[in-house]
Amino acid sequence: MKKIVFVLMTVCLLTATAYAQDTIKIGLMAPLTGSFASEGAEMKQVLELLNAELNAKGGLLGKKVELITDDDGSDARTAALAAQRLTTKGVVAVIGTYGSSVTEASQNIFNEAKIIQVANGSTAIRLTEKGLKYFFRTCPRDDEQGKVAVDAIVKTKAKKVAILHDNSTYAKGLADEVKPQLEKKGIKIVFFDALTPKQSDYTAVLTKMKGAGPDLVFFTGYYSEAGLLLKQAKQMNWKVPFLGGDATYNTDLVKLAGREAVTGFSFVMPPLPKYLPSKQAKSFLADFKKKYGNEPSSPYSVLAGDGFRVVAAAIAQTKTTDPDKLANYMKTQFKDKDALTGTISFNAKGDRVGDVYRYFKFDSKGEIVLQK
Amino acid sequence: MEEFFQQLTNGLAVGSIYALIALGYTMVYGVLKLINFAHGDLFTIGAYLGMTLLASFALHETIGPFIGLVVLALMVMGLVAILGAIVERTAYRPLRESPRLSAVVSALGASIFLQNAVMLIYGARFQVYPEDLIPETAIDLFGLYVPLVRILVLAASLVLMAALYTFIQKTRIGTAIRAAAIDQDAARLMGIDVTRVILLVFLIGPALGGAAGLMVGLQYGQINFTMGWTYGMKAFTAAILGGIGNIPGAMLGGLLLGVIEAMGSAYISIAWKDAIAFFVLILILIVRPTGLLGERVAEKV
Amino acid sequence: MKNKSMYIYGVIFAVLAVAPTFLNPYWVDVLNNVGLYAILGLSLNLIVGHAGLFNLGHAAFFAVGAYTAAILNTQFAIPVLWLLPVCALTAGLFAGIIARPIIHLRGDYLCIVTIGVGEILRIALTNDLFGITGGPNGIFGISRPTVFGYVIRRPHEFYYLIGAFLMVTIFLFHRLENSRFGRAVNYLREDETAAEGSGINTSHYKLAVFVLGAAWAGMAGDIFAAKMTIIAPESFNFWESVVMFAIVILGGSGSIPGVLLGAVLFVGLPEVFRDFADARMLIFGAAMVVMMIVRTEGILPQRPRTYALPEARNAGGAP
Repeated sequence: MKKIVFVLMTVCLLTATAYAQDTIKIGLMAPLTGSFASEGAEMKQVLELLNAELNAKGGLLGKKVELITDDDGSDARTAALAAQRLTTKGVVAVIGTYGSSVTEASQNIFNEAKIIQVANGSTAIRLTEKGLKYFFRTCPRDDEQGKVAVDAIVKTKAKKVAILHDNSTYAKGLADEVKPQLEKKGIKIVFFDALTPKQSDYTAVLTKMKGAGPDLVFFTGYYSEAGLLLKQAKQMNWKVPFLGGDATYNTDLVKLAGREAVTGFSFVMPPLPKYLPSKQAKSFLADFKKKYGNEPSSPYSVLAGDGFRVVAAAIAQTKTTDPDKLANYMKTQFKDKDALTGTISFNAKGDRVGDVYRYFKFDSKGEIVLQK
Repeated sequence: MEEFFQQLTNGLAVGSIYALIALGYTMVYGVLKLINFAHGDLFTIGAYLGMTLLASFALHETIGPFIGLVVLALMVMGLVAILGAIVERTAYRPLRESPRLSAVVSALGASIFLQNAVMLIYGARFQVYPEDLIPETAIDLFGLYVPLVRILVLAASLVLMAALYTFIQKTRIGTAIRAAAIDQDAARLMGIDVTRVILLVFLIGPALGGAAGLMVGLQYGQINFTMGWTYGMKAFTAAILGGIGNIPGAMLGGLLLGVIEAMGSAYISIAWKDAIAFFVLILILIVRPTGLLGERVAEKV
Repeated sequence: MKNKSMYIYGVIFAVLAVAPTFLNPYWVDVLNNVGLYAILGLSLNLIVGHAGLFNLGHAAFFAVGAYTAAILNTQFAIPVLWLLPVCALTAGLFAGIIARPIIHLRGDYLCIVTIGVGEILRIALTNDLFGITGGPNGIFGISRPTVFGYVIRRPHEFYYLIGAFLMVTIFLFHRLENSRFGRAVNYLREDETAAEGSGINTSHYKLAVFVLGAAWAGMAGDIFAAKMTIIAPESFNFWESVVMFAIVILGGSGSIPGVLLGAVLFVGLPEVFRDFADARMLIFGAAMVVMMIVRTEGILPQRPRTYALPEARNAGGAP
């Protein structure tokens, strides 16, 4: 047994060092196993598509671009190892990852190795407050989303609001962000609690929430739980409007909750390419559909695609892979009006600038409609 | 008060699923003294098979919804039972004579394998059962609003449990299972083929787990490859709560655990729900070290 | 025989001592994880392997240590390495309080209670107990350890810190195995009633071994916190306890070389299988079953104690 392990280890070491330096390498760190494996799989699909297209056009700086994917397992310890592994493969930049705490475990490793990191789903505020030089993200921060959500809630004229999160870093962060802002506007929070994710029966939660008598339920968790909540609320014959954070949306939501239950459900999120006018977004959507047979189901995989496009554009513009020059360029000069999720540029912290969030609502056909 | 009864029905509905899965744990434990960690994943496979069979045969459309569902349930139970036997044959039988904890690790390995196999076959995304299989009506019980599907699931699981109980208590084979659970060597001396009893247990347990998976799919609509881990842990807790190895204990433990969770959510805190359930379990074990219905086993002398 | 195995261990030790010079940072960090899990495995080995107590909640004590270090370090700026004894104390104390009422439970009932304790603790940490655990975000900004003014930051620096701690652990636990305490604990694993009949206070020994194992896991938690600089409740979930448990059983319950090898396999194999991408855990699960079937007692099981017969000793040659 020991011998086999040893042989395997040496083989891996050899293959790791055997990569020649005639390509530009871009890494993807994504949750390919574990609870967010579906998000990770789609991130990989988006990047493979974009990379193939880039190489078909001749790659970057006259070299082919090679995509190196590694699994973070949705877990901080695995992510730290994945990050170490990517640094040894000579990548210029890394796209990813999804969970905020998972990203955080990899941040310092990439920063110390001077590798540009563009996170696509990590919205926790503190990630860009550390002054890391090479860290960027294409997704907006929780406080941005909080503002949009508060506006949306105020517009519904609800007086009593129930806030439900799922005790994940992201969902709790958003709930905590929104609660004081609503109270300041004179809206009463009649319910504030966390459900346990990954279970299938939330009737006990709904029954309790119903007892508190809210005019609106704001759920900040993920789409599978959102689907169950909507479906079970309808089965209970409880007709309260639900508003969700950006993780509640996925093209699967209509299937999960049922078309009837999803009608009237509203949420805030960065727009999918489908809702953008730009030619790039349209052609990306068509190519993705052609290659994989369906539309991208989550905005986060598309945000990963934007991260890849940003890095590729920066390398092409600066004609270098020097991390300092790239980071400097991305922070000061980069601007893409036609990215897959709208306009992209970054501030000095590496945060995406501009209002990205939109407010959507499901109509009775199960289609989402942009709200003004 | 109305809210209290509503929560009680919520708890019983969840608890009946826990109970069905817990039966698989408790039966295997009874004869092998092994915690079959792969049982939760057999439950998951039941849910996925149900979905595949529904999509490929659409029995409910050809032979009517009721008979269609019964036939579907039998098919799922049969297939999962066969799979259970295969797991027993490959992962547990070679470890029959070795230290008990070795078999636990083998069970954990089998669980990881099955879970990831489901992920690779069906993909990591949530899968959805077809809608409108069971009419979305609800029944008004003295002001309580209970969806029809919940009543059907509760009834079906009670029927399965009653059937199992009669089978174990009244038939010759059931007696053999009980005998093997008490003392394998003595049972062997009485002419019972213990290997076949174990195989039988690995057919019945997974069949019930598969049925539970199908019910979860029908009732909640969405299934995921990691669901066996969550449900399995709950069901194992339920089996211990009732006294592991004891069949009525698993049923009682499952229902009770569901109710404890619902009441904990309702009157204490939703976020602490699972912690409350474990806390109650620990309290019960401190008072009754072998669970509610578990027999006090005299230490060997 | 004895000499030959000493020779093998010597070679392994020598290779490991210079490993960072020829391995890249990724593989050094893999070895760091192996070392950390080896320490955790050895601490759990006392409880599961030697005393035969079915503990599937060891991550709880690991968590108590890590959180103690994180809270005291971030609030009061106490250097993390000074906190090692404090972490041992809190984790040991926690284990003592928990174990006191439940230690008499039989095998599998003890198992679910330890699972329950682990889950309750994780949920409590997630719900920001007493407002000091940081909720689901956990605690970040834990400072790096310093040794004589030298800051330990990179993987190969941690390698020697973890390596040193592991060496100390192996040495002490090896001494413990062959002590009166070790023999008493093994006796109660083999036959509790007989052990009690021979005048061994079984619940006293069980409790002592439980507290000792937990305290050691607490110290591993301190190093983990210092290495990651961020800790969150999800790092201490049930799966972590399962990994520690499997390391002990798969490697060889009760045997120090076995547990070390178990840690190598359990942390190393998923890394080796990385090239299989999303199928890596499938292969890992299958490997677990196969290894268990091939070596039912674990890969390097504990060897029964042998004592030379008086005649043999007189003759001057031990077998």
